Amino acid sequence: MKNGDKSHEWTSLTRRGFIKGVGLGGGAMVLLGQFGVHGLAWALSGDPELKMVLVDYNKCTGCRTCETACSAENWPVVISGRKLPGLGNPRFANIRVHSFSPEVDVPSVCAMCSDTPCVKACPVDPDVKTNRRALYRDQVTHTIHNDPARCIGCQSCAKACATQRTGVITPNSTTGKPERMCTLCGGDPQCVKRCPFGAISSVEVRSDRKFYGLGPDKIAAELAKGWYGTAEFGGMK
Amino acid sequence: MSGKPGYHGVILNINLSTGTSEKVAIPPADLDRFVGGQGLGMKILWDRLKKPGINPLSPENPLIFMPGPFSGFPVPSSSRTCVVTKSPITSPMKSDYRHASTVSYSNMGGFFGPEIRFAGYDGIVITGKAKELSYIVIDDDKVEIREGKRFKGMRTDVFDKVFLDALGDRRFKTVYIGPAGENLVPYASILHTAGRAAGRGGMGCVMGSKNLKAIAVKGSGQPGVADHQRFLAALEKARLALYGTAYAKSWAEQGTARAIVGNSNAGTEAVRNYREGTFPEADRIGGDAARRDVWVRDIACYCCPLACKKSGITKGKYGGIVHDGPEYETGVMLGSNLLISDMPGLLKAITVIDDLGLDQISTGNVIGFLMEAYEKGMIDRKFLDGIDLKWGSVDATLAMIEKIAARDGIGALAGKGVRTLSRQIGKGSEKFAIQVKGLELAAHNIQANQPRGLSYVTASRGACHMSGDNIAMQNRRAMLDSTGMCFFPTFEPALEEPMLAMLSAITGHEYDKAEFEKTGERIFNLEKLFNYREGFRRADDRLPDRFFEDAFTIGPKKGSVLDRSKFDTMLSQYYKDRGWDSETTKPKKAKLQELGLDSI
Ligand code: SF4
Ligand code: SF4
Ligand code: SF4
Repeated sequence: MKNGDKSHEWTSLTRRGFIKGVGLGGGAMVLLGQFGVHGLAWALSGDPELKMVLVDYNKCTGCRTCETACSAENWPVVISGRKLPGLGNPRFANIRVHSFSPEVDVPSVCAMCSDTPCVKACPVDPDVKTNRRALYRDQVTHTIHNDPARCIGCQSCAKACATQRTGVITPNSTTGKPERMCTLCGGDPQCVKRCPFGAISSVEVRSDRKFYGLGPDKIAAELAKGWYGTAEFGGMK
Repeated sequence: MSGKPGYHGVILNINLSTGTSEKVAIPPADLDRFVGGQGLGMKILWDRLKKPGINPLSPENPLIFMPGPFSGFPVPSSSRTCVVTKSPITSPMKSDYRHASTVSYSNMGGFFGPEIRFAGYDGIVITGKAKELSYIVIDDDKVEIREGKRFKGMRTDVFDKVFLDALGDRRFKTVYIGPAGENLVPYASILHTAGRAAGRGGMGCVMGSKNLKAIAVKGSGQPGVADHQRFLAALEKARLALYGTAYAKSWAEQGTARAIVGNSNAGTEAVRNYREGTFPEADRIGGDAARRDVWVRDIACYCCPLACKKSGITKGKYGGIVHDGPEYETGVMLGSNLLISDMPGLLKAITVIDDLGLDQISTGNVIGFLMEAYEKGMIDRKFLDGIDLKWGSVDATLAMIEKIAARDGIGALAGKGVRTLSRQIGKGSEKFAIQVKGLELAAHNIQANQPRGLSYVTASRGACHMSGDNIAMQNRRAMLDSTGMCFFPTFEPALEEPMLAMLSAITGHEYDKAEFEKTGERIFNLEKLFNYREGFRRADDRLPDRFFEDAFTIGPKKGSVLDRSKFDTMLSQYYKDRGWDSETTKPKKAKLQELGLDSI
């Protein structure tokens, strides 16, 4: 962390800072404007139990550095036997920045929904030993994972996520198996570390929190109303 | 394809006349010698236009979109696209060729350049002319030319939205022209994301001449790098040099708009058609005022930690959404240069100019010239189609902008720029027609800034404030604009070493400071060879008389004016130091040999 310290310090959001931001807003709508609906649960939560990634839309500049950092970490390369971060092709990032006109940028990331509609939509029977479907939630980190050996590539999870939540799941173009669920980078979220503007935070939430991740279009519409007084958009279809 | 690291080794050639496209290999030596962006674009232009005098609006003239070797990697501020073509604006005093003009290049930020590289190309070269208004869709290997008549006459703000909807996928990155480009206004621009532009030098006009409304690009690939580990280490250092620094934060806070007040105080601002260098009302249109009253967001280009772009909203008669600005150039050219100090009015003018697809700088310069000619009684209201073009009038400015884009009445003449206008009007108006080689000057005034005057007269595309105030700066910037990195972060000295290390690690070609500048010098000299071949000589490197005759009457630099003989002496020394003949400006054989340009 020696080298990372400087950037990390500047980019991390304190718990107090977050609550202050919420307090200033004073309502769910403003809260949505700043952190997405799911932030509410965290702000109201009691004992923190797990971590997840939250975006402050007011600070985000749409630079897409988070996409490159995510891709580099989750698609490493092996060079003379050593595993190194990749070159950060944003196409493969789990976090995706959606850009609209007028100027609104919405980084969209798996909301780690506590009721996991994606997992519920998976038609593969739970494994007798692990009790996992082909898509399952890790009980410790609460991140969503796919077991490619059992996955049939039916894309039911992607549909469930797209219609009910963030829509981050993207079926692999050849296998149809789900990709782009946030891995939390094994505990050291690279998007948080690399965002030049401190717009992403890794924050503690309760595991039984009640919140629902919204799709980028809905978030963008809310933001545009607040910023520009309009919800007339390009790129929505 | 070439096997050279850091590149795909491939240019995408699109011919709109035949409706065909093909991948063409780039000679590997060109990648080392001309890098990408402005440099490689120049080399391609040189190779394609084998003789001088080719009509810039003919199908033959290539319109070249160039990312650089940084593009597509997570390098800080590696957002730029350089558009290169033969200029539809400039011309020499004397030439054997009717259509003689300089090279033209224009550099824009955003996301287009990186996306070209994701799609698998190091550049896109467009030639020919489509039968009807068309657009191009590039999705990795798939290239389609589609008919786009339904977009005819569409302004850029609405087009940006409608086009993305038509494409059905917002991951496409797009560039397009507005009505001004379709109408072949010489200083029409190319827009990207509604608020970013390749503004200068007539890019939109050349695009319009090809019947090309827009290009959309999307891709999934990336080139490899020569030394992965070295690249990652240098990238880490580059980020640390910028992230969270006071330097980066100051860009996020005000962008270039900070200089609106700063340069006014320094006496280097374009005010009242370059008559003055200080604007007493600069604080009404400066960065502080915009931060307070207008801006709602700071916006960054691809992987940029500076975020100099701003969007906002204004209220009242001229109220509306502001995609960008004021920036220094737009705020000064449409603000202090026209004595407009009403912020919403200023932003309305800026917004409409982008919406119509005109160059902000040339448009502001032309209107300033007309305001002065009108004030001096050299032209009357009838000449202006009834527009009462008084200093500071927002309504008159807006009316003139619409006329120019439509090439309607006075707009047809005004669209040709201040040199043509002053030739038509006569009466000594040439003195305050602020242009070099036919291209209008930008927002930096020079009565109190002689080195910037050098930049204006010796720049390859006509009056350019970005070219560099001396030889070292010019070489460095020609190179920088060839890499895909933005100019703004490079003022941070701590970025220098990691920047060179990243470039070396990506390309496998070792760049130290000397090699970086030598490559820039080669690029600058190839541009010079192109211009010389067209017929440009020393007499064309000439400033308007105003700068030698009209001393500032206000401000801290009151009394400043350039000295003609000092300026000439400086120029002679410049040519000598360049290794060019100081009479003709022809690059000497020894210099060309040194740069490996002797047999080109
Ligand atoms: S890195 Fe930060 S500022 Fe940039 S797009 Fe991602 S969240 Fe926004
Ligand atoms: S955001 Fe989508 S993928 Fe993530 S937990 Fe919710 S439904 Fe599942
Ligand atoms: S935490 Fe890691 S996997 Fe999740 S979005 Fe951020 S970078 Fe990607």
